[in-house]
Amino acid sequence: MKIKRRDFFPLAGAGLLAGYAGWEGARSRRNSSASPSPVVVLKASSYSDDLAQRILQGVRECGLDVRGQKVLLKPNLVEFDPNTCINTDVSVVAAAYEVFRALGAAEVMIGEGPGHRRDTYSLVEMARYREISKFDDLFVDLNRDDVSPVEKFADRAEMYFPNTALRADLVVSLAKMKTHHWAGATLAMKNFFGLVPGSVYGWPKNELHHIGIPESIVELNRIFRRSFGIVDGIVGMEGNGPIQGTPKPAGVLVMGSDLAAVDATCCRIMGIDPAKIEYLRMAADGELGNVEESRIEQRGEKVSEVRTNFALIDSFRGLRLS
Amino acid sequence: MADSYLGVRLDILRRSQNPDGGWSYYNGKQSWLEPTFYGALALHGDPAADRAWSLVKSWQRPDGSWPPTAGASVSGWGAALCLTLARVRGEVDGTYLKGLAYLLKTVGTESEIWRRALAKFGLVDPGRNLSLKGWPWNQGTSSWVEPTAHSLIALKKTFALLPAPELTERIRSGEALLLDVRCKDGGWNYGSAWALGEDQRSYPETTALALLGLQGRPEAGSSVDLAKRWLPETPSSLARAWITIALRLHGVTVPDTTSPSKGPGSPDLMVVALEALGSPDGNYGFLKTEKA
Repeated sequence: MKIKRRDFFPLAGAGLLAGYAGWEGARSRRNSSASPSPVVVLKASSYSDDLAQRILQGVRECGLDVRGQKVLLKPNLVEFDPNTCINTDVSVVAAAYEVFRALGAAEVMIGEGPGHRRDTYSLVEMARYREISKFDDLFVDLNRDDVSPVEKFADRAEMYFPNTALRADLVVSLAKMKTHHWAGATLAMKNFFGLVPGSVYGWPKNELHHIGIPESIVELNRIFRRSFGIVDGIVGMEGNGPIQGTPKPAGVLVMGSDLAAVDATCCRIMGIDPAKIEYLRMAADGELGNVEESRIEQRGEKVSEVRTNFALIDSFRGLRLS
Repeated sequence: MADSYLGVRLDILRRSQNPDGGWSYYNGKQSWLEPTFYGALALHGDPAADRAWSLVKSWQRPDGSWPPTAGASVSGWGAALCLTLARVRGEVDGTYLKGLAYLLKTVGTESEIWRRALAKFGLVDPGRNLSLKGWPWNQGTSSWVEPTAHSLIALKKTFALLPAPELTERIRSGEALLLDVRCKDGGWNYGSAWALGEDQRSYPETTALALLGLQGRPEAGSSVDLAKRWLPETPSSLARAWITIALRLHGVTVPDTTSPSKGPGSPDLMVVALEALGSPDGNYGFLKTEKA
């Protein structure tokens, strides 16, 4: 089945966008932990829902203004298995592309550097991303882009990153709601592992494991602070994620400019205590974002109404939210 | 020739070579060691390959290592590729020996004494034999299948010239490591065959690379059969190219699916170079190794 452009962009036309253009939103910056962070939770029961409308609503409610900006959409494209749901669904990627274009971004690119599979274009093909109109003109293989060093990354003097990501005014983490057998959960913040180039660090990017997964997640989010998170929880993954788990419909999209707050909210939806996720503790301690429920301004659906416990592997049973 | 399957690819490589002599992964980007290695092998004998070698040689660091791209401060698996290229070109000189010394002293961190002690006393289950020494992507990290396979090719090609005991030991250990992490189906994952209580799946691309590293080992037989089954099935152009080369080097007659009208399967220039190498009249033989 070919996905058509209009399938992704059933917006209420120019009136809706005109209304948005007149609305004075904040610039795309990560909320500091000093003020509550808005996080929007919207229901979406299937990938054939009007996802562009929901993403537009989420972006509006978070006060994100992308006019004139270079936006990089960073989906989670890890591996392909037709029997499960490892990657950010193509319909979410396509809808986000249309929304950010319509909101006046100067440039919207799609980029990913898969963590262990060498052939990015084969993954792109299997995940049906090439069905997005003009995809080949929009896509950058972040594993093999030109790179530049950034000083100080955890205990490393420098770390190399793709120029496409470094030059973006805003990196949109189009993550998948999944459990993770090392980190507990992989959401908007962990998705930034795909910004690390395999051409420098290999497949997998073992350097990050040696630095420490929580430390690396926090460092990546410190470097790419101009970000926005959209988590595809329409069908997530539970159990032995992020690859070998089983599909778990959660029926939500979760969005926000504070990626720590987005991830903490996702955890609560998944029945995971975010205070027990090490990278979120570190993010909160480092004032990278808000994790405590009282510091998050919940918009859209209430977490209690959409919570659905994700199965956890034995070693993570203790993460369960009471 | 110019219109043949091989000729089309070699022509693309000639036209896409960067002014500095290297190749990028995608047209118009900076030169990287990996696509430059494959491009130079595919075009061996052509002036383009000489320019590529001049660039690669200029990138070597004082410690004998190579960065993945000009000026990068990271060192690692590129040394294996450079040694293989130098050996193919017959450039066995000071550059080569420094690179060889670097490769011989590079070991994955999983075989450090304290990690082996933890495993010995049952405090961790690494899912592999930590006494076996492989090669990491970068200094200070763990061994993985791909850099280990490339290092084995480089050392085996060196051994034919310089049969030193240090080479024998690393080759034996590296081969044993690859066999130790082979998955139940006979193929290879990127790393271990087992993690967190789960068998890991194998992949066509890593299986092909492991087979390149295990040339001359009779134990590779069942894995060759798996690679033969995968060749027509895998949707990845990169994996198909690597499998084709591996099968040819294991003496398997690969069905000729090449045709002049069949363009490269990917915009990735490394894939173009690998498809050129693996074509029936390509230079895949440069990756052949003798039993050490």
